[in-house]
Amino acid sequence: MPSQKKNDIAIRMEDVGIEIDGELDSGSEDEARWRDRNRKAKASPRARGRNGKPATTEDEEEEEDQDEAPRKRARKKKASAQDSEEEEEEDDRSVKRKGTKAAGRKKKAVKEESEEEEEEEEEEEEEKRGKKKKGGKVTSKKQKDEQNKEKKGDAKGKGGKEKGDGKDKKKKNGNSSSSGESGDEDSLSEGEMASLKEEVEEKKKLIATLRNKPWRMKRRLKLLKECQAFVEEFEGALGKGKGRKLYAYKVMMAKKMIKFNRDFDNFKTACIPWERKIKEVESHFGSSVASYFIFLRWMYGLNLVLFAFMFGLVVLPEVMMGLPYGSIPRKTVPRAEQDRAMDISVLLDFGGYCKYSILFYGFYNDERTIGVLQFRLPLSYLLVGVGIFGYSLMVVIRTMARNSDEGGDGGDDGQFTFAFKMFTSWDYLIGNPETADNKYASITTSFKESIVDEQENQKDENIHLRRFLRVLANFLILCSLGGSGFLIYFVVKRSQEFANLDQDDLSWFEKNEVEFVMSLLGLVCPPLFETIAELEEYHPRIALKWQLGRIFALFLGNLYTFLFALFDEVNAKLEKEKSIRNATIWGLNEYYSNYSSYHNTTDIPPPDIHPADVIRGPCWETAVGIEFVKLTVSDIQVTYMTILIGDFLRAMIVRFLNYCWCWDLEAGFPSYGEFDISGNVLGLIFNQGMIWMGAFYAPGLVGLNVLRLLTSMYYQCWAVMSCNVPHERVFKASKSNNFYMGLLLLVLFLSLLPVVYTIMTLPPSFDCGPFSGREQMYNVVMETIENDLPAFIGNIFTYATNPGLILPAVLLMVLAIYYLNATSKNYQNANLELKKKMQMARDEEKNRRNNKENTNQVMQDLEDLLPNRSLLPPAAAEEKPPPEIVREKGSKSPKVAKRPGAAANGKGINIQKDVSLAAPNPKAAVTHPPGPRGPSGNARGPPPGPARGRGRGTPPSRR
Amino acid sequence: NGSKSVVRTLRPEAFKSMIPTIPVTNMVCFFAVSHSQITRLYSRFTSLDKGENGTLSREDFQRIPELAINPLGDRIINAFFPEGEDQVNFRGFMRTLAHFRPIEDNEKNKDPTASEPLNSRTNKLLFAFQLYDLDRDDKISRDELLQVLRMMVGVNISDEQLGSIADRTIQEADQNGDNSISFNEFIKVGNLQHINVWAGDHYLILSYILLSVLQD
Repeated sequence: MPSQKKNDIAIRMEDVGIEIDGELDSGSEDEARWRDRNRKAKASPRARGRNGKPATTEDEEEEEDQDEAPRKRARKKKASAQDSEEEEEEDDRSVKRKGTKAAGRKKKAVKEESEEEEEEEEEEEEEKRGKKKKGGKVTSKKQKDEQNKEKKGDAKGKGGKEKGDGKDKKKKNGNSSSSGESGDEDSLSEGEMASLKEEVEEKKKLIATLRNKPWRMKRRLKLLKECQAFVEEFEGALGKGKGRKLYAYKVMMAKKMIKFNRDFDNFKTACIPWERKIKEVESHFGSSVASYFIFLRWMYGLNLVLFAFMFGLVVLPEVMMGLPYGSIPRKTVPRAEQDRAMDISVLLDFGGYCKYSILFYGFYNDERTIGVLQFRLPLSYLLVGVGIFGYSLMVVIRTMARNSDEGGDGGDDGQFTFAFKMFTSWDYLIGNPETADNKYASITTSFKESIVDEQENQKDENIHLRRFLRVLANFLILCSLGGSGFLIYFVVKRSQEFANLDQDDLSWFEKNEVEFVMSLLGLVCPPLFETIAELEEYHPRIALKWQLGRIFALFLGNLYTFLFALFDEVNAKLEKEKSIRNATIWGLNEYYSNYSSYHNTTDIPPPDIHPADVIRGPCWETAVGIEFVKLTVSDIQVTYMTILIGDFLRAMIVRFLNYCWCWDLEAGFPSYGEFDISGNVLGLIFNQGMIWMGAFYAPGLVGLNVLRLLTSMYYQCWAVMSCNVPHERVFKASKSNNFYMGLLLLVLFLSLLPVVYTIMTLPPSFDCGPFSGREQMYNVVMETIENDLPAFIGNIFTYATNPGLILPAVLLMVLAIYYLNATSKNYQNANLELKKKMQMARDEEKNRRNNKENTNQVMQDLEDLLPNRSLLPPAAAEEKPPPEIVREKGSKSPKVAKRPGAAANGKGINIQKDVSLAAPNPKAAVTHPPGPRGPSGNARGPPPGPARGRGRGTPPSRR
Repeated sequence: NGSKSVVRTLRPEAFKSMIPTIPVTNMVCFFAVSHSQITRLYSRFTSLDKGENGTLSREDFQRIPELAINPLGDRIINAFFPEGEDQVNFRGFMRTLAHFRPIEDNEKNKDPTASEPLNSRTNKLLFAFQLYDLDRDDKISRDELLQVLRMMVGVNISDEQLGSIADRTIQEADQNGDNSISFNEFIKVGNLQHINVWAGDHYLILSYILLSVLQD
């Protein structure tokens, strides 16, 4: 910058600085004089800036101003944390008193001149002056007079002191490396100093008088400790030298800590995956759609952990330390299949090399320990298989518990829902047009959500009709559910009959009847349910829950048929396996006897057969695993294709064919698709059920699922943003998605049953998988307990599994559940009660005010203007009667308070509209102003009186 | 920067939880007038002054992206201009910015007879209030609310719905039944668990406005 310009700026600065000071301060002359003198006083020890102010101080001050707020806060926090209730009270008082007291003291000091006081006062003054000479802050005339007086008295001594002070500070500045630190050291403003000092004094006084307090010893001791700690900590801050430095250091560290925490929080937020994507979706489609994506993200996290377990403890050890492919029969493709093992069609069906790979149960060897680490793979396999369920259960339940803390069904119950949104929803720091668009969308969406909630609160019509309709709707849906259940049962039974017939006689339809019926039901029923649900006129949030529950029930049929077919298959395979096993054993025996008789030796080598040629059983576990993997893959395909065709293609057609079509495609029939929340959520939940069930038989399934979730996150986000339109009634999702979690828990439980059943009862295949050769799968655990652990643990285990011990334990748990349930109910009730009370108090307050202001608007205005109420005796007298009425009514029944104003007249919004807002058609736009919350137009309440207007002009009776 | 990212995620209903973590240090609260601050402000002033004539015009302010996008941007810009003028010099600039200066403890102790400084609590609140009060009749009427709403939500909501939102807002905030929001009622709306979002201890809204004007 050219020097001339610099000078220019400097001059301007000087100008403006004084100008602004002049505006801000009273008595600027005094101030200026006083400042002048100060400058002279400190001129010598300090390097002077261009304008007579040292540069360092300016920096300091800046820092101080910026940092004042957090420090104060931190100190307050500290103090409040330390103090007991009483102390807090005292603190509050002291804060309140601070202003008046400090001022009072100064006066006192001038008048009374009591020695101690003066000393104290002097100290304070000195500190203040130390500040002031730096900043030239605003002080009142009185103070200045006082200071001037004092200056006359002992100007010399002070000057000297101040010099020393200045030097001291300079030294500190020199010592500290950064300007921030130097700012910290001197950043106590005088107000803070004073208040701090007062606090310390109070604490000291408390310590002195603690002995006389009628408290318990424990409390006294606690208080004493706290007080001492406080005094120790903050006394240093008031003194000079070391204590102060230490304090400054502490403050600085605290500040750094705060900053670090904040940065860390930012970092954490930045680390949440897809947060930005989901926020974007939320801003356009509302929180309900976003809740699906949040659920999807949660699911991804869960699956990542499951994958880590599976991969780290089962797959990786087998790959690293187990036998390689082709070494033993179970790891080799049989000779008969080898020709086609690499065909793409076979691989897509997960046959061939896929079937004999690490992905499936059959590949794993039954060696007790593998590798140099002596890793017990079979045991690990079993524990991981069961542990996946354990972990999932734990996580789901923990999440549910945590969510229930937040509680609420999403409707916000603040006093100023709309007003707050209206005035504060804009983010002033948005500078990017794209972000601004998102913000616009999100504001719109949130308003829409609130409108829907409001409407729902207002709704109040023929309750009998509604009840009847709801019963009817539930009846219809139960009928259709029953019908579809019967249909499924019928079809499955028929398919069993078909299975006994010759496969060649059956037509294509007869072969695929079950699948056909299932997908038909899945296609027809959800829209049918949705149509029926419109009879019920629930709030969309509640309607979504019902819809979810109903479709869930329908899908259970799906699950049931699938499992049914699977168990049939497994049983058939078990039969086949038995015969093969017997044949194998017989063949081996033959071989042994032949060999020993032929060679006349008992030392018989195992038969030399290539692993691909060994006869082997059907390995039902791998078959089950393949079924699950196939199902998952086809589910992925169907989902993705549905999105591609149902959403993307539809959107393309609607968008581009609209130019040359007879009717308006966008507004008319096909239109753009809405995001199907219930379908997607249930798809996700059932898919997860498949994963849980299949993971035991196909360890690779979890990895597949992780990939699926990852891709579907991006894919669906893209699809929803580009092809879908927001719902007609955007509604706010419940804060806790516990309903999703509840369904998930149910599915988890349902999928736990078959797996545990197979583990506990079905015998494992004799020639494949980690449990081959054992009677039962869980025998691995028994083996380990017997062989590897000391004997007493085996004993403990035996005792623990004794029914005599298990039964009481179960009983105890039931009792505990009962007790906890009862307690939580009590808490809930208490909460509700409190909420009600708060609402009542709020309404009462509002009504009282309304009434008062209603009756006497002018007087109210006058009253606002005049500081002293007692000046208006007539007004008070006039005002009296109405509030009494209100209070009476308010105390009689809370309902009255909630009633909307009934004293309508032409001036404002017509209150009749409030009643008519409860329109029967929920999809209609809001045409009327929503009224206040609570049941409106309550027939039971007393007739509208003058007391309950929301303040719209005078009541009719007075007109 | 850090504060920006925090603020970006800030939604009004999130205020309750956000208040303890709002970056106060990063908020520009440096309006105790010292020379370095003025230097800084002046450099900002000159960087805004594209005409290089020592005054700022409305166009200069509208070049700030945060203000250009802000639905209330015009109102904020208006606050910088005295009535009937369309140029503001550095002094006027500073005078408006002085509203944002934090209240300091020593100022509270001041002689009550002295005239109120620009950065008093009342003036701060008044500043925020006047962003909404277009015709300066000390009341926010339904029409004024509608105007703000229209700017904030765009075309996605029908006029009827907008009207109902405005009515509902007034119903919530209005306490004396004049069908508009007075200054006192406006303050009450901002009160949230002992913290005033307009000009509470941390000057939430106001400091954001300030930041939007001053940050580069």
